[in-house]
Amino acid sequence: MTAAATPVDVILPQASEAERRALRFARVRGIIFAALGLIAFLFASNTMDTQATFKFWLNASGGSELSISASAGVLWILAGVITGATGIYQLTRGAGVRWRRWLALMLPFWIAATVGTLLAGKPAVLTQVFAGSLEYAFPISMGAFAAMICERSGMLNIAIEGKFLIGACAGSVAASMTGWVIAGPIVGMILGALVGLLMAWLAIEHKVDQIISGTVVNFGALGITNFIYLRILQLNTDLNTPPTIETVQIPVLSQIPVIGPILFSGTPYLYLAIVVMFALTYMLFRTRWGLRLRASGEYPQAAGTVGVDVIRIRYRAMMLAGAIAGLAGSYLSLHSAGSFQMNMSAGKGFIAIAAMIFGGWNPIGAFGAALVFGFSDATQALLSSLGVDVPPQLLTSVPYLVTIVVVAGLVGRVRGPAMAGVPYEQG
Amino acid sequence: MSGLRRRLRPLFIPALAVLSAFLVGSIFLVLTDLKNIALLPTDPVHAVTNAFGDVLNAYRALLQGAFGDPARFATAMQTGTPKAWATAFRPISETLLAATPLIFTGLAIAVSFRSGVFNIGGDGQFVLGALGATIVALALRGAPAPVTLVAALIGGIVFGAAWGFIPGFLKARTGAHEVITTIMLNYVALQIVQLSLRTDFLRQSSSSQPISKVLDFVRVPLLIPLTGLRLHWGFVVALLVAVLVSWFMFKTTKGFELRSAGLNLTAARYAGMSAGGSIILAMAVSGALAGLGGAFQVMGTVTQMSNDVNSGYGWTAIALALLGGTRPGGVVAAALLFGALNNGGHGMQVETSIPLDLLVFIQALVIMFVAAPNLVRMIYRLKPKGSEPGAPAEEGAAA
Amino acid sequence: MRLELRDITKQFPGVLANDRISIAADRGKVLGLLGENGAGKTTLMNILSGLYRPDSGQILVDGEPRTFNDPAEAIKAGIGMVHQHFMLVPVFDVVESVALGEEPVRGVLGTFDRSAARARVVELSNQYGLDVDPDARIEDLPVGVRQRVEILKALYRHSDVLVLDEPSAVLTPGETEELFGIIRSLAAGGTTVIFITHKLNEVLEVADTITVLRRGRVAGTVLPHETTREELANLMVGRDVELTVVRGEAHPGEVVLELKDVFVRDDRDEMAIKGVTLEVRAGEIVAVAGVQGNGQTELVEAITGLRRVDSGHMAVGGQAIDGASPRKVSDMGVAHIPEDRTRDGLIKAMTVAENYVLDSYHREPYSHGVRLNRKAIAEHASTGVQEFDIRTPSIETHVGNLSGGNQQKVIVAREFSRPVKLVVASQPTRGLDVGSIEYIHRRIIEQRDAGAAILIVSTELDEVLALGDRVAVMFAGRIVGILPSAQATKEAVGMLMGGVH
Repeated sequence: MTAAATPVDVILPQASEAERRALRFARVRGIIFAALGLIAFLFASNTMDTQATFKFWLNASGGSELSISASAGVLWILAGVITGATGIYQLTRGAGVRWRRWLALMLPFWIAATVGTLLAGKPAVLTQVFAGSLEYAFPISMGAFAAMICERSGMLNIAIEGKFLIGACAGSVAASMTGWVIAGPIVGMILGALVGLLMAWLAIEHKVDQIISGTVVNFGALGITNFIYLRILQLNTDLNTPPTIETVQIPVLSQIPVIGPILFSGTPYLYLAIVVMFALTYMLFRTRWGLRLRASGEYPQAAGTVGVDVIRIRYRAMMLAGAIAGLAGSYLSLHSAGSFQMNMSAGKGFIAIAAMIFGGWNPIGAFGAALVFGFSDATQALLSSLGVDVPPQLLTSVPYLVTIVVVAGLVGRVRGPAMAGVPYEQG
Repeated sequence: MSGLRRRLRPLFIPALAVLSAFLVGSIFLVLTDLKNIALLPTDPVHAVTNAFGDVLNAYRALLQGAFGDPARFATAMQTGTPKAWATAFRPISETLLAATPLIFTGLAIAVSFRSGVFNIGGDGQFVLGALGATIVALALRGAPAPVTLVAALIGGIVFGAAWGFIPGFLKARTGAHEVITTIMLNYVALQIVQLSLRTDFLRQSSSSQPISKVLDFVRVPLLIPLTGLRLHWGFVVALLVAVLVSWFMFKTTKGFELRSAGLNLTAARYAGMSAGGSIILAMAVSGALAGLGGAFQVMGTVTQMSNDVNSGYGWTAIALALLGGTRPGGVVAAALLFGALNNGGHGMQVETSIPLDLLVFIQALVIMFVAAPNLVRMIYRLKPKGSEPGAPAEEGAAA
Repeated sequence: MRLELRDITKQFPGVLANDRISIAADRGKVLGLLGENGAGKTTLMNILSGLYRPDSGQILVDGEPRTFNDPAEAIKAGIGMVHQHFMLVPVFDVVESVALGEEPVRGVLGTFDRSAARARVVELSNQYGLDVDPDARIEDLPVGVRQRVEILKALYRHSDVLVLDEPSAVLTPGETEELFGIIRSLAAGGTTVIFITHKLNEVLEVADTITVLRRGRVAGTVLPHETTREELANLMVGRDVELTVVRGEAHPGEVVLELKDVFVRDDRDEMAIKGVTLEVRAGEIVAVAGVQGNGQTELVEAITGLRRVDSGHMAVGGQAIDGASPRKVSDMGVAHIPEDRTRDGLIKAMTVAENYVLDSYHREPYSHGVRLNRKAIAEHASTGVQEFDIRTPSIETHVGNLSGGNQQKVIVAREFSRPVKLVVASQPTRGLDVGSIEYIHRRIIEQRDAGAAILIVSTELDEVLALGDRVAVMFAGRIVGILPSAQATKEAVGMLMGGVH
């Protein structure tokens, strides 16, 4: 029989498309870094005389301070050196370079140099900034944890904002009514879990699109909490004056100069967040629950065919996440403001989602992202309190812009759970 | 079945949804009347009758706030003075006025849903549209009023379209999920507005608030020349735009491409349509519509640009698009309904001190019931249906 | 264990997938299940693994009848399935993937005892010669190794029966040899292996018994050393009802479609087409035969502009189409009848008329600039409906409400209603009734006689033989043979399809 020439095992042609693209990106990055390095040197030449003074409190109550001074120009030079070196490294070594680590290294210098330049000689008390970052990070990171648990299981949750509000309102009322501070977080958790259950039910049982059910909760929570505030709480203020939560000073550790006032004296909520962060990291990556949860979010069919009950996992995940978010919500009213105010969360729920994405869908990353956002927020507060004429909106936009950059894959493919938001059909 | 019944069929579930939402809202209303609840143990009969009375009164105030008080109409017919007529028609005028931005944003979201993209950025596009209109208006101050007005409106369209283009482009090129990017851009838009309102060009010099100069030198003409009626031609334009959108989506080649992409992106690709192009176009058009809404809001309804120019229109628009079945006509009807609710809510709040946030809550419930038709069927024990005509089209938009 | 399926019957809407099928496999033996697409193999295995329930018939494990309500029950009974499409979470590593669902735990928090699981994985690997790095991530592993992970999954659950569904479809020849070694050692260890394939050589090499399925029935059960390739090919493709379409002589003209050394990657970045060279002339039908998954889909996608070509040259009518968009290819006079009509070819929620102009709406007279000319579209659609005898209440009916045959007719009518140089048709009569099949075949031949070049890709051998002036066979991403119609007998083509050349 005739046959077309059947080639012997062909040696496959050139490098794949993906490899070529990676090389291109590496070159572009290298050029950008090198250019930035040059810019840093330029700034340095202008600011050699500017003094940047950073102060730290030695103990929690203020008073004596530790002062560090440097020329802003020196800071710029350091920033430039690291950036330029990274650029050259990237250009010569190609696609394999771990440029993100270098980016993380050069950022603090850029920030210090920029802030120092802007301060133009005024001393800045950094204790507040760092402590403020941590404070800010609490609700954000807890919200991020909640969103992350949902997405890891395959469900989208954009209703963190709504759960914050419900937790804040219910928490304040519960604590006021019972006189026990602890009632606030507990009630917040319970209601949050119930809302999570509702959302899961709508999405799984009724196949409601998860964006829509999230919108419903956000909308509804805003409406109902405003309504309750205006109708009841404004007139019956005794229902909205919860006992305050004292800041906790960890014995011994809070006396450490500089670090003590920042890390070891704060609200108990913060330590809760850190505990939750570690607990979640462990649960997610080391336990059977975590393994099955992640399977449900990445490839639920694979889990289903080996007998894992994906639906049940998702229900539970939504409830757990709701509880965490509700708990975090109670913080807003019980700690920061001392009572519930309308629309207290003011978009923090969405920043929490941004932190989750920026943090790469894992607890430690989310906490780190929350810290970064908190840092930019606290820095902005510092700058405006010192009268520096930088529009606050620039720094306030940081979380959102960073998230967009991350989602667009401009700093590399940060991939969320593959099946987040896609309804799961068994068999 | 008769033609009329067939026409009304798609309205059945949404109507029940609205009804159910109101029922739940009423329950909350009653439960939060603490004084009445306190009355229960001692005088249950009165407590219950009070509760009923409160609910009915609240909804009466709502209706009157939305549509008008018959008594005032009677007075107007008797006295015939312009003032009396204005007073009588004010509620309806305000309702239609409240519906205007909702029509624009509702259309914007409907277009995006139809095309398979989830535009959650209505807020940002609306507010930037308002900003754009303000900037153009102030820049062209002194020019003939019609020129300034039209230019300002175009400015709003351009700003809004640009803000929609960005997430569309990101999605087409990088696959970035438009839900996240549009939400983030909403907040960035707010920051941009804040920042802009601090500049001397825009800022009202006499105030320290982030509010723009008063735009009294050019206004969208009023629809009815009676003092006290604020309804302006923006409403009419909104209706015309709805017709335009309908024409665009159903009678043009581009609209055909967008609808195809929304219904079956794979088949559209196979037939030669550009997936990326459709995504970008849909988002840009969506943004343009929202931006136009913002422009009209600042040029016609309010007198100064500020952050308050938008009150959640972008999110409400999602409800409107769903409720209206992503059909332009349905969206207009839903917008009128929500406009009535919002406006009537004000009246209700003034008269009965019931906060209008109750209506926000009710609107959320409406969305929930409309999005889960089986839930409604379950509650009212209706027979499950096959395909629901008028229900939101199952878009290719994976959330 | 001894596994037996007795008189299994399963009906799906419109097709009898399994018609009283009985197979049996003994402990420590390899049963080869041979058949082409649509023979019913996958349905049968889905029943065995608990995904489907049979309409009638019995599953007997060691003589005892068992029913499986879900995959978990089948797994418990000792049946391990290695699917064609792997059920592996890409970001997990081997240990996690194997242990998922059966994880050993330790402590009050339910800590995953990874070291215990890992130890067992290593033990099983060594025992059965399945060389796998337990700590590697699934997404980093080549396909052949992933398959070993799937096998380990089954062994981890103490499967006594291992069902492998087209395992070599994703392997290189070298990896296939390794797989056979693994199968032999598994069998030697007492595992019963059922090996599903369409490749004759493989089943002859590794099976102890061969059962051939065809069109939902058992066509025959033979022993490897007592049969020949020709007999197997015959059993596999059978002596079925000859379709009665009359296809006259072809008068091929000049070359219309030219493919030269084309390499195309699939979605997993593996090379799906490895150097295809092919010519299709005007006035002739080239039918490409082959079992699904040998690169035909990617070939069609490359020609119609839906998939980028890695290297090689393609031209239509002398004009290069490398890197052309689908619209550009279509504008060059290429008609495409896609493989999956409801997913790729039609928009179910749109009307017949709208679907009719899905690829031509942007041309005059269907639109003037931006405005659609509904009247022209309606006229065009009505003409098409009449000419192609499409049964529909009106042209405004949603196309999703039409029967499969009429849906396909809409696509065919749409593609044939303008002058075309080249027709690329992929599974043009899949899932259709006999009447529609005949009709579409007739129209295709008409197009050929009008001077178009036709490339048909079909897994239905009857269709290929009925229509092909020349028959090309694709196997493992290459064209392993091109036969003129006179020499294209079922046996010859069947052997090429089975990889024998």
